[in-house]
Amino acid sequence: MAKTKEQLPKILTANDLLTGATVYYTSAGTWSSHAADALVANSPEAIDSLTKAAADAFAANLVIDQAIVDIDAGGEIRPARLREMIRATGPTVRLDLNKSISPIK
Amino acid sequence: MPVVDRNGPIEDSWTTLADDAPAVKGARAIVSLERLKNEHNSLFADASEVGVEIMGDVDLEQLKPFLPQLDVVVVRFDGMKDGRPFSIGRLLRERYDYENDLRAAGQFIPDQALFLLRCGFTTFDVDENFSIDTLKRAVAAYSVWYQRASDRTATILDKRHNGGAAPTNGNNAS
Amino acid sequence: MYAYDTFDQTIVRERTSAFRDQVQRRLKGELTEEQFRPLRLMNGLYLQLHAYMLRIAVPYGTLSVKQLRKLAEIARKYDRGYGHFTTRQNIQFNWIKLEQMPDILAELAEVEMHGIQTSGNCIRNVTADHFAGVAPDELDDPRVVSEIIRQWSTFHPEFSFLPRKFKFAVTGAENDRAAVQWHDIGIQLVKGDGGEVGYRIYVGGGMGRTPVIASLIRPFLPKDQLLSYLEAIMRTYNRYGRRDNIYKARIKILVRDLGPEEFTRQVEEEWAEIRKTDVNLPAEEEERIRRFFSPPTYETISAPVADYEKAKSENAAFARWSETNVHPHKIPGYAAVTLSLKPIGGIPGDATAEQMEGVADLAEQFSFGEVRVTHIQNLILADVKQADLFTLWQKLSDIGFATANIGLVSDIIACPGLDYCSLANARSIPISQRISERFEDLDRQYDVGPLQIKISGCINACGHHHAGHIGILGVDRNGQELYQVTLGGAGDETASVGKLIGPGFTADEVIDVVENVVNTYLGLRAPKETFLATYRRVGVEPFKENVYAGR
Repeated sequence: MAKTKEQLPKILTANDLLTGATVYYTSAGTWSSHAADALVANSPEAIDSLTKAAADAFAANLVIDQAIVDIDAGGEIRPARLREMIRATGPTVRLDLNKSISPIK
Repeated sequence: MPVVDRNGPIEDSWTTLADDAPAVKGARAIVSLERLKNEHNSLFADASEVGVEIMGDVDLEQLKPFLPQLDVVVVRFDGMKDGRPFSIGRLLRERYDYENDLRAAGQFIPDQALFLLRCGFTTFDVDENFSIDTLKRAVAAYSVWYQRASDRTATILDKRHNGGAAPTNGNNAS
Repeated sequence: MYAYDTFDQTIVRERTSAFRDQVQRRLKGELTEEQFRPLRLMNGLYLQLHAYMLRIAVPYGTLSVKQLRKLAEIARKYDRGYGHFTTRQNIQFNWIKLEQMPDILAELAEVEMHGIQTSGNCIRNVTADHFAGVAPDELDDPRVVSEIIRQWSTFHPEFSFLPRKFKFAVTGAENDRAAVQWHDIGIQLVKGDGGEVGYRIYVGGGMGRTPVIASLIRPFLPKDQLLSYLEAIMRTYNRYGRRDNIYKARIKILVRDLGPEEFTRQVEEEWAEIRKTDVNLPAEEEERIRRFFSPPTYETISAPVADYEKAKSENAAFARWSETNVHPHKIPGYAAVTLSLKPIGGIPGDATAEQMEGVADLAEQFSFGEVRVTHIQNLILADVKQADLFTLWQKLSDIGFATANIGLVSDIIACPGLDYCSLANARSIPISQRISERFEDLDRQYDVGPLQIKISGCINACGHHHAGHIGILGVDRNGQELYQVTLGGAGDETASVGKLIGPGFTADEVIDVVENVVNTYLGLRAPKETFLATYRRVGVEPFKENVYAGR
């Protein structure tokens, strides 16, 4: 049975306030520019914890536009929505651009 | 709430009366336009000074008859993006010849203060978090401007063509 | 072109300092994001999908070589080596860091540039005919009044917090190359009864969710009444425009809801009072500004220019390029040249730092040091001697800006779309690339003739798809990119809104659909009849039928 939207695993993403870079919340409580480093939330408690981390980071003026987004079920971290995929990889028409920027911390 | 002008905090003993709150004899009372229309006789008789609070959607023709007797007009922002008070301020000064205290209230931010002053506002009703230092800095941040507005200062056009002199006539309020 | 005096410079310098201070306050938390956002937008800084995007104002699309070289430097130093020219004649950089913004603004200020009011609910960049000053059919140079409006609207204390964004466009000719009827206020220079030049004022045009052609509210306004009239319009909008719903907040909605007659009545009632004040521009200021737009020192050349004619007869590719990319000029022996930023399969409107520098060198050598940006995302060298055209063409070919496709099917407008923009629902650039590649044969493009394709990645319509002869709108349906097709839009003086032909298509399908539409046209056209003329003659049905046959 295919997973419903509610059941899909989730990660927390945002944009770094200073650089604007797309960043992902990691298990170490830091923000990485690589989606692969993201902490995956698989339970309502884990999602609550991401929600709190998002609010804390925004209040600390570290990030803006924070959002909890779906990733595909399965091993690898792959954002489910095209928009989030593009945020993770960079513009599809400029794959030559290296999008990685050093993390905040 | 503290009240400031462009130089800093000022003494202010105005009270804002809700529509159903009793008037206090001898007090300085700010009321809504509705209340002003209904009770202006008793308000002007009882209060030492009367003011009105309006929003950006006000019909200024309704306010017009009372303006000569009002000592403060408070224009409240409905959010910082509400640009109507700027037009209201200019109309009160330049069209309706209102000369007394014109006060901005609501969620405007210090960075809007210079525009408010240029549109005729004289005081600001702010909350405790509002930074008066920032307001002063924001007001001092710009020394020249292109457009004629309610203030009497020389514009860039005056500096280019008028030897820097502000106009001595024209329909701008003092 | 206009050059700043000490007052213009002071404005920009003070703005730069104020913004530096605002950034500091934001980083310290003294300004919330909600408070800071309108302030940074008013300096042209957006948060997009991958980074901050900075939109730099290019007033009425005019650039000096000094400015263009600085933009190339900014691309290299602060961005990823390229910039993007937009449908409002501005330039965007996609990879900006907030922490570097104060330094970037300081560098831009050195060359009289800034991001002031390129975003936010304020008066935006005034756009104008990209052939201003050189077009043979021009009544008067629209850049003079554009500069007047630019100054009047910069930090206007009453009109900086409007219900929504506000866009002006100006044309100096009857043939409207600035799409004025698609703007919040469109101004056309016209002659009055006494032969004097004045303004025809259109209000309430716009794209987006509710595309509408502007209403003519004032057929003739004497020149010296411009600012008082504009203040009356802006004040009416500022007071009565809707603020409860961002999709209903443009002036076009107010004009529609009141009706053009009532809207005009309210404006004129307000104007009757405002015109008594001293807000109108003194004549000496207009004269001062006008002097900056005096024509350069042209040589006296008799046409036809033998070298040019000879080169065309000897080189077919050059001849073809001359047909599409070279335009008439009011001075004999001169021409205006469009640099195509639409290479086959390329990204429309993008230019690398190297290309910008190449163009700057060419402008210096061949066009009095000036470049224009068009709203179709190309560049113009407006004052080239015909005798220099062959050399210019060769050098443009080296830069990659010599594709002979101006006005043809591969001269596509595309917004950045979902590849860059956080508002987008679908990608637009890949669609543009694939259409371009499908039609890569220039002979075929030439045979098809004038055809404007415009692609938007969302309903905000920054790609101006409503004004496309073929318009493509990307939408999101259940997480899939889907593309709707409109036909028969136009941006010139015959302005019309494109008509949706039916249900949308996948990315693969829409390329075929465009080809199908073109083939339908080819099958129906009268001799020398353009796509738009054929469409207007036969209507949408024949196209719909062919596109949806068998679906």
